[in-house]
Amino acid sequence: MTESKLSIVDLTKRYAAGLEPAVDRLNMEVEEGHLVALLGPSGCGKTTTLRMVAGLMDPTAGSIVVDGREITHTPVNKRGMGMVFQSYALFPHMNVEQNVAFGLEMRQVSKAEQKARVAAALDMVQLGHLGKRQTKELSGGQQQRIALARALVVEPTLLLLDEPLSNLDAKLRETMRTEIRSIQQRTRATTLFVTHDQDEALDMADRIAVMNGGLIEQFGSPTEVYERPRTHFVANFIGQANFLTGRVGAETGRANLAGESYYKVDVEGLGQFGAIGSSGLAGSTHELVIRPHRLNVSLHPGAADAPLAGTIERVSYTGDALAVAVRVGGQQLQAQMLTSSGDLPRIGDAAYLSWNPEDAYLLPSPAKLERLAS
Amino acid sequence: MTVLEAPAAPERPKAQDEGQLEKATERRNRRTYLALLLPGLLGLLVSFVFPLAYMVRMSFNQGSPDGVIVETFTLDTYIQPLTDPYYWKVTLDTFQMGVVVGILCVIVSYPVALFLARSTSKYRGLLIAIAIAPLLTSAVVRTYGWMVILGTNGLINSSLDGLGLIDTPLELTNNMTGVTIGLVEIFMPYAILAMISGFGRLSPQLEEAAGSLGASKFKVFTKVTLPLCLPGLLTAFLLVFVLSISTFITPRLLGGGSVQVLATEIYDQTTGLLNWPFAAALSVILLVLFGLIIAVYQRLTKKIGG
Repeated sequence: MTESKLSIVDLTKRYAAGLEPAVDRLNMEVEEGHLVALLGPSGCGKTTTLRMVAGLMDPTAGSIVVDGREITHTPVNKRGMGMVFQSYALFPHMNVEQNVAFGLEMRQVSKAEQKARVAAALDMVQLGHLGKRQTKELSGGQQQRIALARALVVEPTLLLLDEPLSNLDAKLRETMRTEIRSIQQRTRATTLFVTHDQDEALDMADRIAVMNGGLIEQFGSPTEVYERPRTHFVANFIGQANFLTGRVGAETGRANLAGESYYKVDVEGLGQFGAIGSSGLAGSTHELVIRPHRLNVSLHPGAADAPLAGTIERVSYTGDALAVAVRVGGQQLQAQMLTSSGDLPRIGDAAYLSWNPEDAYLLPSPAKLERLAS
Repeated sequence: MTVLEAPAAPERPKAQDEGQLEKATERRNRRTYLALLLPGLLGLLVSFVFPLAYMVRMSFNQGSPDGVIVETFTLDTYIQPLTDPYYWKVTLDTFQMGVVVGILCVIVSYPVALFLARSTSKYRGLLIAIAIAPLLTSAVVRTYGWMVILGTNGLINSSLDGLGLIDTPLELTNNMTGVTIGLVEIFMPYAILAMISGFGRLSPQLEEAAGSLGASKFKVFTKVTLPLCLPGLLTAFLLVFVLSISTFITPRLLGGGSVQVLATEIYDQTTGLLNWPFAAALSVILLVLFGLIIAVYQRLTKKIGG
């Protein structure tokens, strides 16, 4: 096994005795050159984790190891990391060049080398011509790039980004997303990226740590967390999801080399459907996750086998997409239709749903009863 | 393939009309602003500009020992303080007192202000109120308090004597030392308030950013915290300087007559010698001193980008 760039072992942060920990025995291994997104709703502990890695906050317990060296209690200025703050935190009393040179100056790099490296860093973010500007004269996107240049110019052991895109408007956010990712890939800087935006995480990250309540619910590649969510929370937080709860029947066959099997699942009141899941689920009650765009919607019966009949309750047309909510039995399921299919469906129309067994994923952990009640 | 006719360019609104409309709106706005400013301007005119003009005019009159003011136009009132070494000394002492009190007051108030500005405690408001609470008692009362503390048989001297550290009491009153100590304490609330409002650009994230870039705690302070505090420190210094050189009570009471500054001199000339023209001339000199320091202040704030 290759040595990880960053290992987080049982990292815990408790703000006050008696309170629920903000971060609870968190474990993570980050490979060299990877961009890892810490993704979760506010208050899930993602920023706290980042701040502990940065050295801006002392952990209550656990350890942080970078390049095989334990740095849990190393002061922030000795960690050699580069951090980009949500507010960018550019020094207002320095111009752009002085801002970028700050880390080099602290490392007592010679003036000549400082100059060359600052110029290179500014060129990398395509702002070489703005070196003499005051930071307050720059736009949000430009400030963002300067902050990135300032963090990268010191060739940090880790690049830490704390919601760097949240202060930008929607259009610019997407441009910067691509740009940050390409700079990260060019510099091969191992990066931790805090975000609450699942699109950002899916688009940019090599690995996503989905966090909730101080715990990592799942740590995996974007396709893993999207296609094979381990928990209800992950399935619900990443993308849109329909949930059906059912009793898993016998395996009907091996699905793939990863050891997954097909099952027949009895969903109460709706019928029996095909689904896919890890092996050994037969006999217990599990939740079935179906993404809206994987549901086939037909306005006429008979096309697919065993169609689920329901009524359209909501239609949302946004030009590129047509989303419908279909009431089947006691539940509402979200689905997507092609917009070019002639007349728009109307509320109250009958709709027939079906799906391929490989698009209905059984969550590996048994469904909790309290969630069924709610 | 068909050739499409280029669509006609949409008719542009007539720029001239637009410009005129804009100008008219601007004129109307300006009139509104003026109307809103008028009450304040009138108040200032009556309570500030007229008295000031009257004082300047008075400074060119001729005073006499019997208190009679001779309406004339003479520069004698200025020639005397500007040629007499005594008045040079008084002016320099005043200036020096202002600078020393300003600097000391900024130094002792800075930690308090920095603490209060950074505090995120729910008691922050209460702490600020406590810091400025001394303003609730008048400077006269606080000056008497300092006389009790600093006097020959006061708290400090009797304590040091009791500990056997001194044989003869330290001379802490009736001199510039006492005046300086008193003024520094009395002006601390003003300095703290001025600083807190002047620390706007300081944010914990900037200090964290500096730390993450490799700056030690000391470097963070000298390279980031202090430079960002400078506008607040300068404002506080200016305020305390101006208050110090214009204050009369503390130099008179704690100085016990042996400390002569422009303010006490003006008081003596007005009430003791009834030489109003001369007092007016000294006041104008004091004003020039203000003007000088404000000019320097503005130069400095522009330089540090405050």
